[in-house]
Formats: sequence, structure tokens, C-alpha cells
Amino acid sequence: MQEHTQLSHKQINEDLLKGVLTVPKWWLPAVSFLGLVVLTGLGAFFFMMYHGLGVTGLNRPVMWGVFIANFVFWIGISHAGIMISAILRLTQAEWRRPITRAAEVMTVFSLIAALHTPLMHVGRPWRVLYWIFPYDFSRGIWPNIRSPFVWDPSAVGTYLIASSLFVFVCLLPDIAILRDRAKKPIVKKIYAQMALGFRGTPRQWKLQILAGILLSALVLPVFVSVHSIVSWDFAVLIGVEGWHSTIFAPYFIIGAIHSGVSAVAMLMALSVWLYGLDKYIKPDHFDAIARLLIVVATTWFFFFFLEWVYALYTLAPPEIALRELQAFQWPYGPLFAIFIITSFVIPVPLWLFKRVRRSVVWMFWTTVLVNIGMWLERFLIVIPGLIRRTHMTFDWGTYHPSIVEILIVVETFAFVCLGMLLFAKVLPLVPLFDVKEGMVNRRLIKVGRRVIPATIREGLPHHYYEKKQ
Amino acid sequence: MVNDPGDRVLEPYVETDNSVETRKAVSDGLLGIHNITSNRFWQFAALFGIMFIFGIVGFVWKLSSGFDDKSTWGYYVAVFAFLMTTSSAAPMVAIAPRIANSHWRRPISRAAEIWTLAGCLNLILYIPLIWLLPSLENGRRSLWFYGQQEGVPAYSPHIWATLAIVGLVLLGLSLLWLSTLPDFAVLRDQGEGWKKKWGGKLALGWRGTSAQWNWQHHRMGVVGAFYFMMLVFVHFFISVEFLMVHVPGWIDSLYPITHAHNALQAGVATVMLTMFFLRQFGGYKDYIGLDQFWGLGKLLLALSLLWFWFWFSSFNVFWYGGKPSEQAVLELFVKGPYLYLFITIFILVFILPWFTMIWNPVRRSVWGPAILATSVLIGTLLDRIRLYVASWDVAGRSMAKELEMKMQDVPTKIQTPGYEDIFIMVGFIAGSILIFMLATRLIPAVNLWEQKEMLLYKAEIQFHRTKVTVMGKPR
Repeated sequence: MQEHTQLSHKQINEDLLKGVLTVPKWWLPAVSFLGLVVLTGLGAFFFMMYHGLGVTGLNRPVMWGVFIANFVFWIGISHAGIMISAILRLTQAEWRRPITRAAEVMTVFSLIAALHTPLMHVGRPWRVLYWIFPYDFSRGIWPNIRSPFVWDPSAVGTYLIASSLFVFVCLLPDIAILRDRAKKPIVKKIYAQMALGFRGTPRQWKLQILAGILLSALVLPVFVSVHSIVSWDFAVLIGVEGWHSTIFAPYFIIGAIHSGVSAVAMLMALSVWLYGLDKYIKPDHFDAIARLLIVVATTWFFFFFLEWVYALYTLAPPEIALRELQAFQWPYGPLFAIFIITSFVIPVPLWLFKRVRRSVVWMFWTTVLVNIGMWLERFLIVIPGLIRRTHMTFDWGTYHPSIVEILIVVETFAFVCLGMLLFAKVLPLVPLFDVKEGMVNRRLIKVGRRVIPATIREGLPHHYYEKKQ
Repeated sequence: MVNDPGDRVLEPYVETDNSVETRKAVSDGLLGIHNITSNRFWQFAALFGIMFIFGIVGFVWKLSSGFDDKSTWGYYVAVFAFLMTTSSAAPMVAIAPRIANSHWRRPISRAAEIWTLAGCLNLILYIPLIWLLPSLENGRRSLWFYGQQEGVPAYSPHIWATLAIVGLVLLGLSLLWLSTLPDFAVLRDQGEGWKKKWGGKLALGWRGTSAQWNWQHHRMGVVGAFYFMMLVFVHFFISVEFLMVHVPGWIDSLYPITHAHNALQAGVATVMLTMFFLRQFGGYKDYIGLDQFWGLGKLLLALSLLWFWFWFSSFNVFWYGGKPSEQAVLELFVKGPYLYLFITIFILVFILPWFTMIWNPVRRSVWGPAILATSVLIGTLLDRIRLYVASWDVAGRSMAKELEMKMQDVPTKIQTPGYEDIFIMVGFIAGSILIFMLATRLIPAVNLWEQKEMLLYKAEIQFHRTKVTVMGKPR
């Protein structure tokens, strides 16, 4: 990084623990407001449970509405953590250090948000217990393991467990610092329990680093499988045109990375504004994430292009009719235009300019646009596919999300924000040990009249392996 | 806050008489290896040359057999696709790490770029294929939007495919030339005989001024990015024009990506094997280290895992969907007469690299990556044969106008290659290797300027009780 500020460990502790050890003025109003929104959403959910799914806009033939679109969206956002943390950790990208924790934590909360959406969607969520404790063998109500709806909870649940473990392992050294700094005995005791006796001995560091690398590598296949499986909920069907496409798994994943990494950039901007972390999250970090986003967004757009080209390549009239509905007919046409413009046409050309890439404000708003577009993308995949009139459909064009659905969807957004704020109150949102390690490893090399950033290479030096040969 | 980095600024690289690694030493060392041409080199060149002559004989023989029966052209197209998958994709191994500022690519990049020269052979192989591509007049599907098909020229697929393939070769040659400019200047200044003469001509007055270096980096970045985009588009065209269009009912939107990904995997394997031979037999042992095999090994592992994911993503949607026409496509490529070939490919391209490259000791060796690269390359060749021979066999049954294939249309046995097919296969692969070998006589196989640049960015320092390497990363 060119704009490096060398900080002492003491300074890092003070800066990054400020959010935990003190209460900012805005924190309580923000948490109260978000809590209110979450409670309203939960109220809407209980109202829906009491009155049944009739209070939603769901009706034949659209039995998958905004709940499912929202589910896919949050699964997408959850890919940010692993993309940023695991992949960048394995590739030893130095700029990852201050942003990994926020990305990982967002993964956990967005997975919880994703999981509870389909639970609400099914109308009678308590029946999920029958999957765990089938009460009557003879009635054949065992979950059908051939159904994608069994794959989904398994994959998402595995991902949630793995991500939580990943967050926890990476948190250990920071929890130990909090344990040592906490003044109240009860707080100290809680942190002490959570730190699992971490004292920073060489062996503990070695194990912690090894666990981080192993979990990074192991969680990657889970990361890929989760959204693949979600995409196959749609793609294995042959009855709905537009869904039966082989590209869906990679297309969903790259879309997830697009929206997830954008969400991380949003979080970075919010961290700078709310917690004053500008000494840690610098324009260089925004620049790096914007470069990554250019690649991801362009790849995503290419996949989108292929999906459309091959849909039209079939020359099948229903497929063509669906595409016309998605792109040109009311009300989906304008939504489609907004989706394309916000997810690609506006942000990507803007990111080509260095000034935009290095601006916190520009990066925040462009990534907000991306996520608006990506939510609409999921909506446009789910709803028009089901709503289109076919020869066996006697009822069509009827879906309008009700206020109950809208409140529940809004609740998921508030839930994730609330979760992040509460997490930041008890644990640091920027990993202290990772930032310190980066400071220790950092050097500068003079090349001619320029000074360029340099880092101590992780792993054993080259000549070590040569000797072994 | 410690704003002053103080002792963290390392002194610039200074050459002294005592330096072990100096720019001059690197130049002298690499030029010394480059200038030696052993007898064994010429023996192998002669062997590959003879094989290439057989390839040309096979090529002429094939042309004389005519274009009427498409089912006999499957092996020919498979060889074309294999060369497209390997030699044309190899430069990506130089481009991608260069954009990502990875230092381990430095000894690799030149060899990867030289493979673009073999693209010229692809152009020769491509010419007869123009006559074999179905035109839009035959009722074949077009990639043009459905509403505009009326006004599209019947031979537009031919035009697009030709432009893409020629464009890729030209971009590859430009990339190679740009990357070699500073080394041509070294040959001009320090070389002898014909190398000095050609180095002078190709260096175009390169003096190494700041402006020239800035332009050099800039142009290489731009041409590299365009090469990547063109490579993806070429594989998009090849997978559509030479595969999908011939098989009724095969609508696989993921396949162009799979094809491009296969190319990246085989490209990495090609470069890996090239590095092995350059290190073991080319005299570059001091320059091509285990770091390079380690870096390439990680790439190959990731790409092998992706191979499975892409394959399974397509397979699962077809298999689980249960659509009759898609079941027929699966029967054609996976379950039918090509089942055993598919299992072999699956083992060579996915299982073997996965279960071996996952272990660090294998990746950090020389022989491990070389053996696995061979496995991947054989698997890729067999995969091209499976896909192209099967689809051209179907195309030979004149079903191009139909939109869906039925199970009874699936061939019951594998097409066997003729002698001319074997000649072409062996001859043109040998021809590519021959072109690579001959090119290394003029162009140094390991980049001189990138190796020297590395000296500026690398330093060894004392860190507590050990010595560590510090790497600079310029933006």
C-alpha cells in the first residue's frame, strides 16, 4: 500500500477497541430504530402465521415471491466473507487485513437472514421439526432427500457452522486482548471463557494460523456448493422457462460475489464514517476492492450475456416469450432496465476512474447501486418465470407483494444491520492481530528515486526448498 | 503514531563487484544458456520435424478425401481444438500473474508467451474447417437474436469465427513481440551473428528510456487484457460453431465457459511441462525454481477443482431435469459408447490432480507437477476427442436441422481414426513443439528483463533469529 501509516501496537489497540470500550452517540438511536424495524417485521411474521399465507401476495401460479428472491439475495451477500477472507488469505493479498472480520461477520448474519426467509415462506415453520424428529413413519412424511429443499438447509446450515467457526478462530487473539483489558469482573469472565485460554504462545499462534488456513481451504467448497445448490432449486426444473439453464450455478455464484464484495465495500465506507477507521481503511483499500469488483462485475455480465444468448438460441417460443416479459413488458421491463443500469452500466465505467475508486463516497453509493440491481436480478429471475401465462395456467399476472411481505423483507435488512452493530459493540470489527501482523511485515524498498511498498514473504524462503531438493 | 517508517525503508539495490545476483550476472547467465545449442536439441528438433512432415502428409491426404462426410472430420477438429486449448491458452499463465504483480511468474512468462507462435499452425488447421461449418441457410441455429435472423448473412458464423481466431493469433504475436523488445535490444548489443542482426531489427530502436519502459508496461497490460478477452470469445465461438451447433438438443449455456476453463487448465499444464523440460534439460535450473512449480501447482489444483464443478453443474441440470433430448445428449457424451473414455478423462483431469496436488510436498517438487501436467494434457486431448468426434459423428448423420436429438439417434460405437487422422494428430502436436523449440533459438526462453527487474524488488533481511525475503509490489 502506498499510503501507509505505521502505527504502534498500543495505538492499534486503542483505535480498534474504541468501538467496544466506549459507546458512540449515534449507537443507541441506531440500534433502537433497527430493533423497532426488526420487531415490526417479526410482528408481521406472527400475523402471517396466525392468518395464514393468504395475507401475502402469493397465489397461483406465483407461489415463490419476494421471500425467495430475498433468500437468494442474502445467500449472495453471505459469499462476501469467504471471498474476501478465505480467498484473499490463501492468495496472501495484503490489503485484505483490515476488512476480513467485517466481511466474515456479515457472512454469518446474512446467512441467518437468508435461512429465516424460507422458514417464513413455508407458512408453518414449526413443521421443520418433523425433519429432525419425524413423528409418524407410516404416513411417509419424511423429508424427501431427493428434493432441493433438503439440499438447501443442509448446505446453508453447513456454511453457517463453518463460517461461524471461521469467525471464532480468527477472533481468538482479539478476544484475549479484550479479556486482558476488561475491567468488570463479569465481562472479563465472559471474554476469558470465549478466549479459550489464548495467551499468545508460539504454539498457540501456530495453531491459530494453521486453523485459519485450513478452515479457509475447507470452507471454499462449502462456499461454492451453497449457491450452486440454491441455483439448482431453479435450474433442475424443466417446467419453468428461463430457469432450466446449466450456467445457473456459476452465474449465481459470480452474482453473489458481485453483490457480496459490493456489500463489503459499503461496510468499509460505513466503518470509516461511523468508527473513524480512516487510518486503517485507506483509499488504497477502496482502490483494491474496486479493481476486484471490475473483474467480478465484468465476469458476471459475461455470464448474464451467455444466459440470455442461450435462452434465445433455443428458438423455443415459450423461452422467447419469457424474455420479452422480463425485459419489455410492464412492470418487469422498467425493473429490468434499473437492474442492468444499477448493477453494471453505472458502477463499472465509474470504477475505471482512479478518483472514483479512491473515493469513500463514490464507492459507497456505487456499491449501494450494485446491491439494488442485484436484488432486482433475483426478483426478475423468480417472479416472471412463474407468472408467465402458459397453456395450463388459468390465473396469471396476479402477484403483488403485500405489506406483510414487504415488512418481513425489510426486517431482514434491519436484522443484518442490527447484528453488525451489536457485534461491533462486543467484539472488534477490524482484526487487531491481523493489522498488527501487517504492520510488522511491512517494509519499503527504494527503487531509484521511488519508494515502493514491500512485505515480508509469508512461508519459508525460496532457498529452503532448494536445499531440500 | 509512528509516521516515520524509519528503519523499515530498505536501501535501494546497489550492484557491487561482490554481489552474487547482479544484473550483469543475470544477463550473462541467461544469454550464455541461450547461446548454447546442444546436439541433443537438434536431434529432438529433427525428430519433431519428421513427425511434422507426416502431419503435413496427413493434412493433404485429409483434404483430398473431401468435405462431404462430416463424421470423418471429428479427429481433425479435435486436434485443432486441442492446440487451441493448449498453446493458445498458455500465454494466460504469463498475463494473469503479471497483472496481479506476482513475482513467481517472472521465469515463466516468456516460455508461456512463446507458445503463441504455435497459433500459426492453428490457422493452417482452421482453413479447411471454414468449408465444414454449416451456414445459416441450412436452417442451423444462429447466435443472432431471433428477431433479426432474416437479415443476417448466411456465412456470418464463418466471418465471426475467422475474425476471432485470426485476432487471437495476432494479439498473441503482438504480446510476444512487446514482451521481448528489451531482450531483443540485449541481443542487438551483446549477441553475435544472425541473432545480433535479427535482434537489432526486432528491437526497433529500444534504448530502455523511462518513456519506453512506461509504454512497455502499459502496452503489455492492455494487450494482455485484450488477449484474455479474445481467448474467452474464441472459445465461445469454437464451442458453439464446432460443437454445439452439430448436436441437436445440446443447449448448454455453461459450455463456452467450460471450454475456456479447459483451455486455462491445459495452458497451465503446458507451461508446467515446458518449465520442467527447460529446467531439467535446458540448463535453466538456477532460474526456474521450486517456487514456479509451487505457484503453477496451486493454479492447476484450483483449475482441476473448477473442472469438476463446471462439469457437474452441466451434468446435474441435464441429468436431474430428465428432459428426453438432454438425456440423449448425456448418452452421446457420457453414458453411451464414450463412457470408458469419459471415466479415463475424469481420472486424468480431475481425480489425479486433486488427490496429489492437494499435498504441499507434491506441489513443491519438480517431478510431481510435471507428471500431473502430463496427465492433464493427455486427459484434455482425450476429452477433445470424446467431444468433437462424438458431435461430428452426429453431424455426419444430417440432423443439424432438428432441434432435439432422440435416444435412437445416438451412435452405438466410437468412430475410429484413420491413418491420416493419426498423422495429423501426431504431426501437428509435434509441429507445435518444433516451433517452440526453434523460437527459443532467437528468443531467450527465460525473460532477461523481468529477471533483472526482480533484483530491484527483492531483499533479504534479518528478522529476529531468521532471514526472510522481502518483496516489493509496485502499483
